[in-house]
Parts: sequence; structure tokens; C-alpha cells
Amino acid sequence: MARTIRLATAATVPFVVPLVVLGLVLSGCVKKPTALDDGAPYDAASAGTAPGSGLGADGASDTNPESSLERYRRGLAPDEGGILKDVPFGYDSYELNAAGRDILAANAAWLNENPGTRTEIEGHSDDRGTIEYNLALGARRAKAAKDYLVSLGIAPDRLSTISYGEELPLCRDSNESCYGRNRRVHFIPPGP
Amino acid sequence: MMMNQQHARERAVRGAALLVAALLAVTPRAEAQVRGTIVGPGAARQAIAVSPLQTNGMPPREGERFADILGKDLELSGLFRVVDRAAYLEDPQTSGVTTGTIDFRDWSTIGAQALVKGKLERDGDQLVVELRLFDVVEGRQLGGKRYRAKSGELRRIAHRFADEIMLLVTGERGPFDSRIAFVSRTEGRFKELVMMSLDGGDLRALTKERSIVLSPSWSGGVRSLLFTSFRRGNPSLYRLTLGAPAPTLVSARDGLNLGGHASPGGRAIAVALERRGNTDIALIDPDGKLIHFVTHGRAIDVSPSWSPDGRRLAFCSDRGGGPQIYTVDARGGEPKRVTFKGGYNTSPTWSPKGDRLAYASRVQGRFQIFTTDLPGRDVVQVTQTGDNEDPSWSPDGRYLVFSSTRDGPRGIYLSDVSGRHQRRLTAPGGDDSSPTWSRRLD
Repeated sequence: MARTIRLATAATVPFVVPLVVLGLVLSGCVKKPTALDDGAPYDAASAGTAPGSGLGADGASDTNPESSLERYRRGLAPDEGGILKDVPFGYDSYELNAAGRDILAANAAWLNENPGTRTEIEGHSDDRGTIEYNLALGARRAKAAKDYLVSLGIAPDRLSTISYGEELPLCRDSNESCYGRNRRVHFIPPGP
Repeated sequence: MMMNQQHARERAVRGAALLVAALLAVTPRAEAQVRGTIVGPGAARQAIAVSPLQTNGMPPREGERFADILGKDLELSGLFRVVDRAAYLEDPQTSGVTTGTIDFRDWSTIGAQALVKGKLERDGDQLVVELRLFDVVEGRQLGGKRYRAKSGELRRIAHRFADEIMLLVTGERGPFDSRIAFVSRTEGRFKELVMMSLDGGDLRALTKERSIVLSPSWSGGVRSLLFTSFRRGNPSLYRLTLGAPAPTLVSARDGLNLGGHASPGGRAIAVALERRGNTDIALIDPDGKLIHFVTHGRAIDVSPSWSPDGRRLAFCSDRGGGPQIYTVDARGGEPKRVTFKGGYNTSPTWSPKGDRLAYASRVQGRFQIFTTDLPGRDVVQVTQTGDNEDPSWSPDGRYLVFSSTRDGPRGIYLSDVSGRHQRRLTAPGGDDSSPTWSRRLD
């Protein structure tokens, strides 16, 4: 019977404190475990808002119904293109390329011919990379598109931006053509 | 309304079955090489028998259920291999539970090196659970505890005694009396917050945003969580206090309000805020009022994580070209770069002892979990296959949880810090991500 118990072996745990023989440490005063509340999740429609937040108390979104987010809530895929075309980007990049600048020039021309309209610029990414970094990347892409349109004479107050990062993809395949489609700036249909 | 939760629970149950199957296939590993604060898990595992509790008038099934929960925690710890109950020779209801009354030969015969025995009694509307850990070979008691609790809290007592066993065996309390919150896809598309125990039990839906929820983080112990939600269009920061009727808004500045992390003292929240299309790290107070911006300039700065002493922040920035990990004084100042290997390093999170950072790094096109000391010399790769993201430390610093695609759609996984002992925690078939591990419940 050479085998001995090795619950904290010196060989594997070099500096562990020697196992203290605790004997009977049955105590009658063990702290009562903290009870966790067992309530059901709130109902989204009745959820409150912080005072002074400037948001409606009805919990409704003020997002355009044709935005990628509102389409997603209704179970619809995001739109691709439209009156204003999508702008493509390279991997992990928010630089506008020549094709992107041409598309933005055409979009600027349409916006110039239709004064009084506004649009929201959505920044999207592919799903490589982490969720938070991709949201920041989408924000930079939307900003790059907005800055270029402003440089072409579009009033900044006609253009708002939002980033969805990798959350609302056009496709879910793991190949370069799908990644490329998802790395985009999309414009929701302009309106008053 | 609870269909999601029920569905998730069924998935968790299937996950448990899978876990057992995986364990039986595990071959003994060579002795671990241990260094630094890495203690125990991943080394050769001890054979432990967890006897069903003596139930003294309560249904024997309750005593078995308790042993199941405790045994699963001990397996997850990586320190133990639980001897199959079918091999136990004695009757748990009639045999003794103290040193003089146990025949230890019956346990050494079936290969057990350690043994847990105990009894469960009802006292009015409370339960009293008495538990002891024995060294089978030497035939002596190593420790024991008596717990008194409401009858709904049996699972927690099992987790607490698992932590106690780890304290007795390694000198440091275990991490099982805690919760893991994470983002789970529901109804095929919405991303909501969910919470569970490490063993997949106590699963509970926390939000019903019917939108996209991101980046949960515990704040103020285990009473509340910060998270980002698109519920009203803009990605704003919310706080969910457990038991409260609904989340409250913390920061709804135009653009991203992302990755809110409460400081160890609770007086500040580090968050990535968008300024003119670019994200910088800022500190806001618990009501959302700006304290100051920590980083400035044209680079993307995201994913802040506090050092345990509340003095510094780790974050991800592309200021050097691609995304890399930096640390910075929380009052501001020049960021110090930590990672130099690999072109894409992100999602840093500071260990509870403050000595290491865990992060995700791209290796040959896939993301893997790494840890590094500071200033970044001793780098350890924890995961090897699939895409692995969003690491979060256990309260004792010996384990990490993270999301992984190694078996298909994203699930939540556990690993010891060495990477030798890895287990899936959520059931297959879901889409689960962004886990955040709470402190211990007390």
C-alpha cells in the first residue's frame, strides 16, 4: 500500500500551503447564502427610462422603419443598395477607395437634386474581429462617408450616422465575397 | 413567456449529458508544469468519490441530486475525477458519515483517493446540510462544514462546498459560488442577456429587449450588470439591477456608448464613447455624467478594463496601425503598449490579482485567447481551435470563460489559465457570446 493521497502534491503545486489538518471544523454559524431574486424578466414594452434621457416613455424607437435595425426587429434581412448606393471598404479599413468615392459622388449628386431630404448612414463590418472593435470600425466608416459627402457640399445636418458593427450582416458565409459585401456603408432611403 | 428560458434549460440539460460523455473519453495527462499563480487545475486529477447524502426522512433522490451538483463542479475544476457512483459499495442511507464509522477500505478498493460524505436534514422550513471531506488512504477527515439555508438554496450549498474543497486542497477558495452572465440569441435573432451558474444550472433570462444587447459587465458585486443595447436605436449604456422591474439608462450620448466597466470602488464607469465618429475611453459617474476623457486623438479606442487597484485601464487601440492592447493611467496620460506579437490583439481583461491580462489575438486568421504578464513578456496561448473571443476571469483568477466556435455556432467555454483543461459550459445549438464572470456571491 505505497499509494498515498496527493490532494495537493508538492510536485505539481510547488508553493502551496501545507495541507492543514482541520479536524472537525463543523461550525454552526456559517453565513446564510445570499438569496438571489428570482423575478421574471421585465416586459420590453413597459420598461422605463431614466429621467432626463430625452427618450419617449413608451419605449418606442425613433429609428426609421427602413433602417437595418428596424428591419431586423421585424425579422427581415438588411437592404442592400437603394436610391443611394452602398460604399465598400477593405478589411479592417475605414479608408475610402476610388470605387467608394465614385459612389459617394453619385450619392451627393442625388442629394443635391433632392434638397430637403435627410438620410442615415449605417456603418457595418464583416464578422472577423471582435464585436466592440467592429462597432468602432463601423462608426469610422459611417463618419468617413459623411465627411466625404460634406466635402461635396451636402449640409451636415442632413446626414446622421450609426454603427451596427458585425451585428446586421447581409450574408453569413465564411468567404471573401461575403466578407466584402458585409464591409459597407449603407444609406437608409432618404426622406423629409 | 418563459418559452425561451425553458428552451435554454433543455439545451443546458443536453449539454450536461454531452459533458459526461466527453469526460469519459479523457485520457490521463502528463504531470502539469506549474508556475506563477497557476495552481492545480490541469495537473493530474485526483480520484474523488462523492457519496449521495444521508437524507434522514427526506427523499433519497435529494441526496443524490446534491452529489450530482457537487460532483459536476469538482469535475469542472479540473482538479478531480469523480468516481462513478455505480461502483460505490456501501448504502449511503445506512452507512456512517464520520471518521470512526466509515470503512475506508470500501472506498480505496474502488480507487477513490478522497471522499465526500454528508447528511441532509429538514429543520422547520430550513435545510441543514453537514458535509465532510476525507482522505481515504490515511482514513482521516480533512475538513467539514455545516450549512443552514432555505430549501431552494441546495444548489448554492453544493457550489459553496465545492469552493471549500478547493480551499482545503489548494489553499485557495474555488470560484463556483458565482454567476456567469452572457449574451444569448433568442427567437432566432434577438440578442438578450442570460445568467447561469458555472455548471449550467440556475439558468435565467435577464432582459427582454427584443433588440441587440452587447458587452455585459458585472458592476457593484453581483447585484447589477452594465450592458449596451440598441433597444431605442442608439447603442446606449444601461444598468440592470437584479430584481428591478427594468434596466435604467446610464449613458445615451449620440453614437456608441460601449463596453461600460464599473471601477473597483464603484465611483466611475469606464466606457468607450463616440466623439465625431471616433471612439475614445471616458470615465463617467454611475449616473452617466462625464468625469473626463482618458484617451484622445484620431485612433479607435475600445474595450476598457480596470486594474484591480482602480489606477489603470487596459484597452484596445489602433493608434499603432492595427488593434493592439495598451494600458493607461485612469486619470489620463500616455498609453503604454502591452502586445507586440500578432497583428490583431483585442478585448483585454485584467486578472483579479492584477498580475496578468487575458485578451483575444488573431493567429492564422482565427482568434485565440492569450494571457500575458505586464509589461508583456510572458505570453501564454490558452486556446487552439475555432474562433475564441471575449475572455473573462474567474473570481479566483485560476480560470477563464470565453466564447468559442470550435464545435460550430458560438458557445461559452471554460478553461484553466494554462489551457490544459477546457470544457463547454452552454449547450450546443445556441449562439452564446460575451460571458462575464461575477465575483463570489458573498
